[in-house]
Amino acid sequence: MNETMCGTIRELIPDVVGGRISETDLGAVEGHVVECSECAAELRLAGTLFASRPVPPPGLLERLLDSVRTSAPAVRTRAQPSRVWWSVAAAAVAAFALGIGISSDPGLELPVEVPGYAYEVEEGDIWVSDDGLLAGAPLFDDLSDDALLQLLEELSVASAGGSA
Amino acid sequence: MRDEERRDGDPSDLELVQAGRDGDESALGLLVRRHHAAAFRVAVSLVKEDDVAQDVVQDAFMKAFRALDGFRGDAAFRTWLLTITANEARGALRRRGRRKESALDDAIEVQSGDPSPATAAIQSVEAERARRKLEELPDKQRMSVSLRIEEGLSFKEIGEIIGSSEGAARVNYFHGIRRLRELME
Ligand SMILES: [Zn+2]
Repeated sequence: MNETMCGTIRELIPDVVGGRISETDLGAVEGHVVECSECAAELRLAGTLFASRPVPPPGLLERLLDSVRTSAPAVRTRAQPSRVWWSVAAAAVAAFALGIGISSDPGLELPVEVPGYAYEVEEGDIWVSDDGLLAGAPLFDDLSDDALLQLLEELSVASAGGSA
Repeated sequence: MRDEERRDGDPSDLELVQAGRDGDESALGLLVRRHHAAAFRVAVSLVKEDDVAQDVVQDAFMKAFRALDGFRGDAAFRTWLLTITANEARGALRRRGRRKESALDDAIEVQSGDPSPATAAIQSVEAERARRKLEELPDKQRMSVSLRIEEGLSFKEIGEIIGSSEGAARVNYFHGIRRLRELME
């Protein structure tokens, strides 16, 4: 058997068993293996391996989809369109947590843009509301929208004052 | 559960990645559906145990999705994900201080215990024997054979995943498949 032809056929064998081959190439392989026992054996082995591919355990797909729904990627991507919002809200959370009086602190500077790593958070360390806007829950859970807007305005004033 | 095939008219992986970057959760879900089975096969090929492989796959997807901004569109998402998966699997092996050279023993352990869903897929004696012999190949040969035959990846893509050149991936594949045929005789 022509070794060059065998080499060509063996290049194609994985695509034959995976069903990723043109009719023309498939015809060439089928014609060759009728006469070449070596390539026929390789085709059979590849077919056996492909047919017995391990399959993921039941439940893995659901587990992965759950983690997509509940973990950081969604948070990260949702937060992107409103980076300023995020940084302001995050600063507010930090300030509240530390008991800092924000409006009376002219030294507080808020970044207008934050680098990507600043809002990439570890799984489970973040809360997010359904609309994706509120980064500081549950601390802000009890605030009305009006109260929240007012808080933001104060923060903006504090920020502008601080950087002036 | 096998990977869901992409049908005509379905968005490409790159389109899904772009949508995922913009916060489209369903796009990320579709990427999971398309590629989780391949990721599982890469993971279980290296770590040998279904439970560990599942953790590896989950970590790999989460890592990939967190790093979507860094994904270069010139690489296939599947190759990129499988590279991350292989790295995660190696990390899991390192953490357990386990040597992969014990692959054959591990394979026999899996066979002798309760049949896992992965091993349940092995339906014929010949297939079972082929898979056992596959486990005897060195890592790079085994991965090259699996990725070429089971996932249909090119040698260039396989090289990226196993950390070799395209040429070395090709050599590993052909050495692996020849060795496997010898072992099966
Ligand atoms: Zn031949």
